[in-house]
Amino acid sequence: MHESHHVVAPSYLDMTAQEITNDVLERHHSPGNQFWTVAMILGGLFVVGLVGLFMLVSDGFDNKSNWGYYAATFAYVFSLSQTAVLVSVALRMAKSHWRRPLARISEMFAIVGVYSFAMLVPLLWVLPSIEGRRSLWFEWPGNTPHIWDTMALGSLVICGLAILYFASLPDLVTDKEVSGKSDEDVSYHPLIPHWFGTPKHWQLQKIVLGLLGGFYFLMLIIVHMLISVDFAMALIPGWKDAIFPAFHAINGIQASIALIIVTMFILRSTSSLGKYLELEQFWALSKILLATCLLWFYFWWSSFFTYWYGRMPAEIGVLKYIMFETYSTVFLLAFTMCFVIPFLILVVNVVRKTIWGPTLAATVILIGTFFNQVRYYVAGFSVEDHTLHVLENLPDFTSPGPIDFMVIVGGISGAVLTYMLGTRLFPIISIWEIKEGLMLQRVRKFMKRDIRVLAKPE
Amino acid sequence: MQERVRISDSQVNTDLTSSIFESSKLYWILVGFLALVVLCGFTAAGYMFNRGLGVTGLNRPVMWGFFITNFVFWIGISHAGVMLSAILRLVQAEWRRPATRAAEVLTVFSLMTAMTMPLIHAGRPWRVAYWVFPYDWARGIYPNVRSALVWDPSAVFTYLTSSILFVYIALIPDFAVLRDRTTGVPHIIYSILSLGWRGSVRQWKLQIIAGILLSAIILPIFVSVHSIVSWDFGTAMSVEAWHSTVFAPYFVIGAVHSGVSAVVTVMIILRWMFHWENYIRREHMDSLAKLLIVVATAWLFFFALEFFFGLYALEGPEVALRELQVFEAPWKWYFLTFLITSYLIPVPMWLIPSVRRNLWLMAFTTILVNVGMWFERFIIIVPGLMRKQAFVFTWGGYTPSIVEVTIITATFAMVSMLVLLFAKVVPLIPIGDAKEGMILHDEIKIGKVMVPAVMREE
Repeated sequence: MHESHHVVAPSYLDMTAQEITNDVLERHHSPGNQFWTVAMILGGLFVVGLVGLFMLVSDGFDNKSNWGYYAATFAYVFSLSQTAVLVSVALRMAKSHWRRPLARISEMFAIVGVYSFAMLVPLLWVLPSIEGRRSLWFEWPGNTPHIWDTMALGSLVICGLAILYFASLPDLVTDKEVSGKSDEDVSYHPLIPHWFGTPKHWQLQKIVLGLLGGFYFLMLIIVHMLISVDFAMALIPGWKDAIFPAFHAINGIQASIALIIVTMFILRSTSSLGKYLELEQFWALSKILLATCLLWFYFWWSSFFTYWYGRMPAEIGVLKYIMFETYSTVFLLAFTMCFVIPFLILVVNVVRKTIWGPTLAATVILIGTFFNQVRYYVAGFSVEDHTLHVLENLPDFTSPGPIDFMVIVGGISGAVLTYMLGTRLFPIISIWEIKEGLMLQRVRKFMKRDIRVLAKPE
Repeated sequence: MQERVRISDSQVNTDLTSSIFESSKLYWILVGFLALVVLCGFTAAGYMFNRGLGVTGLNRPVMWGFFITNFVFWIGISHAGVMLSAILRLVQAEWRRPATRAAEVLTVFSLMTAMTMPLIHAGRPWRVAYWVFPYDWARGIYPNVRSALVWDPSAVFTYLTSSILFVYIALIPDFAVLRDRTTGVPHIIYSILSLGWRGSVRQWKLQIIAGILLSAIILPIFVSVHSIVSWDFGTAMSVEAWHSTVFAPYFVIGAVHSGVSAVVTVMIILRWMFHWENYIRREHMDSLAKLLIVVATAWLFFFALEFFFGLYALEGPEVALRELQVFEAPWKWYFLTFLITSYLIPVPMWLIPSVRRNLWLMAFTTILVNVGMWFERFIIIVPGLMRKQAFVFTWGGYTPSIVEVTIITATFAMVSMLVLLFAKVVPLIPIGDAKEGMILHDEIKIGKVMVPAVMREE
C-alpha cells in the first residue's frame, strides 16, 4: 500500500462544526462568476435544443423515426438523474460512513427529474397505440401505456423531490438562521419554521427518509421497466427479453455513479468545497463502479447468450438489428465504453485508488451509456410496423441529422443547467451529515499507527 | 444494539474448540440418527442402480424430477459461502465474522451433495464418465461441449476446488491452535495441516492478502456456477417457460437467498448446540436478516420478470403452462406454498426488529425460505416437461416414488451430518477472526453516552 495514498481520516476532521457551516454556506451564497458563465453557455445550448424540439413538433408526431434521438436523450437524462438519487438512498440504508459528503450531490439530481418528466410529454404523443402489437400492458383499455408511464414517472419525481427536501431541511433552517432571514422570507418552505432539531425531529426525519427511500427504490425499478419496455422493447418485433429491464436499471446505476464521480471531480476542481470530497469518496465509489461494470457485462451476456445459443429466427433478427448489423458500430462503442475500457481502468488497484482513475472511467461510461441508449431507442423508433411478429427486414440505420444534434446537445445541457440552478436552492454539501459524521469518528493511536474509529450507534 | 462481551484470548480458544474436545450425548444421538437416514439413502440408491430408473417416478416426458430439483437446490445452498465470506470480507462488514466458516463449510458439503444428484439420476453412474471426460471412448464420439450439461461438471468442480482452497487457507491459523492443544495422532495431523504456522507478522499479512485475493477470484466462479446450471434450462428451446434470458441472474440471486437462509439456520443450531452465545449474537442475526430482506426483494423482482415476460408474448403454450402452474391442482398449491414461504411470510416478519433478534423466529423463517426455494425449482422443472411434447396424448405427469423421497431426505441428512462431523475436527467459528473482531472493537464518548465503535484500517 503506498503511504502517499494512505487515508486515515478526512482533512475536514480538524474543522469545527461552525467552520464547516460557514464554509459551505459561503460557497452556496457566492458560487462565483465562473458558475454563471457556464450557466449562460448551457442556457444558450438549451435554447438551441428547444429550437430543435420545436422543429420536431412542427414536423408532427406521425413519423416516429424523427423522434428516435429525442427518445434516446430522454432515456439518458432519466436514467442518469433519477438513478443518481438512488445512490444516496442506498448508501444511507447501508450506513456507509463515507457517503456523507456526496449525499446532497446525489439527492440534488431529483430536481433534474422534473426536467426529465417534461421531456417525456412530447414522447407520449409519438408512442404508438398498443393495439395489434406486443406490450407490457396486454390489452388494457384507454390511454395505455401513456397514462401509466406518466403517473409512474411523476410519482418517482415527486418522491425524489421529497427525499431532497426532507434531507435538506436541517441545512435550510441553518441557512435561514445564519443569513438572518425571517420565517416570512422563507414562507415558500412550509416546514422550515417547524424544524427545531429536537431528538424527536431527527428521529422523524430518519423514519421519513427511510420510508421515502424504500418507496423510491421500488418505484425506480418499476419506472426503468416501464420506460425500457414501452419505449424500446415493445417497439421492436420479436424482442422478448426478460432481463432487459434489469439491464436497463443496472446501466442506469452504473452511469449515475459515474455521473456523481464526475460531478465530485468538477466540484473539487472548481470550488473550495473540494476539501470534503477526498480520495476516500472516489475510491469507495470506484469499487461500486467496477462491480456495476461487471454486472453490466453479466446481464448483457445472459441476454445475448440465450438468444445466440437458441438460434430462433425472431431472436436472431433482434440480435442482428441492435448488435451485429444495423447498429453494430453503436453497439461496439457502447460495449467498449460501458465495459471494456472502464473495467481495464478500474481493475488496477493503484489506478482505482486515485482521483483521476475513477473520473476517467466515469467519463468514458457516461459517453458509452448514451450510445447504449441510442441503439435501443433509436432502433425502436425506426421500426415502421410494430405489429409484426418477427423482424424480417431490418430497418436501416437512422443517422442523426442537424435537428437530432440540436436536441441531444440541448437536452443534456438543459439537464446540467437544471442541476446547476438547483444548487442555488439547496447547499451542495450536506452540512448536517458532515457534522454528524464528525461526531461519529475519532482518530486514535493503535500500535504506532493513527487509525480511524467509527461509531456504530445502531 | 450490540451485545458484545469482552473475552480473553485463552477463553476464546477454549470456547471455540469446545466442539472438538467436548461432546454431549445429544450430539452423538443426532449424528447417529442422521447417519441412519444417510444409510437409508444409500440403500435406496443401491436398490435403484440394481433395479433401474423404473423404480422412480421418472418417465416420458418428465425425465427430470426430484433428483435434478435437488441438484439445483444444493448448488443454490452452496452460494452462501461466497456471499458471506468473500463479498462481506471485501466490503469489510464486521458482522460476518462468526458466519464465514459455517458458510464456507456448508458450501463445500452442499456442493459435494449436489454433485451426487446427477450421478444418481443417470441410473448407471459409471456411464457418466463417457460423456464428461474429453476422450474418444467409442465410435469417435466425444462429449458434446456445446451442451450446457457438459459445462456443469467443469463449473461445479472449479467451484468446489476453489471453495476447499478458500476454507483451507482460512483454517491454517486454527489448525495451529489445535496443533498446540493436541497430542498423538491428532497433533501430527494438525501439524501437517497448519503448514508450520507460527503467527508471525509476515504470516498474518500473507494470510490476509491470500484471503482477499481468493475472495476476489472466487466471485466470478460463484456467479458462473449457478448461471451455467441455469443454462441447463435456459438454453433448451423445446420446453415452455425455460427459454428465458433472465434465468442466470434469477438463479444466482435465488441461490444467495436460500444459501444465506441456510447459514442462518445452521448458525442458530450451532449456537444452541455448542453454547456460543457470546460469539453468535442476536446482532448478527439482525444484520443477516437485513441482508436477507434486500436479497429476497431482488429475488422477487427477478421472479416477477421471469413470470411476467413468460406471458409477455401471449404465446398459447406458454400461457397454458403458466395457467397450469398457478391455477391447476396440485401445482397451484405448490405455487402458493412457494410464494408464501419464500417471501410473503419471511420478509414482512424480518422487517420487525424484534423478530430479527428472536432466534426461534429467525430459524422458523429461514427454514420456510428453503422449503419455498425447493418448491420453486420443482415448479420450474416439472410442469414444463409435463407439457413438453406437442400432442396432448403425449403429455404426462410426475409422482415421485419412495426411492426418490428417501434419497432426497438422505441428502439433507448427509449435509447436516457432515457439518456436525466437521465441527468435531475444526472450529466452526474462525478463532483468529473472533479475536480480531474483539481487538478492533472500541467505544466513543458522544455527549454523555459511550457508543460502540469499530477501528477501521484503510
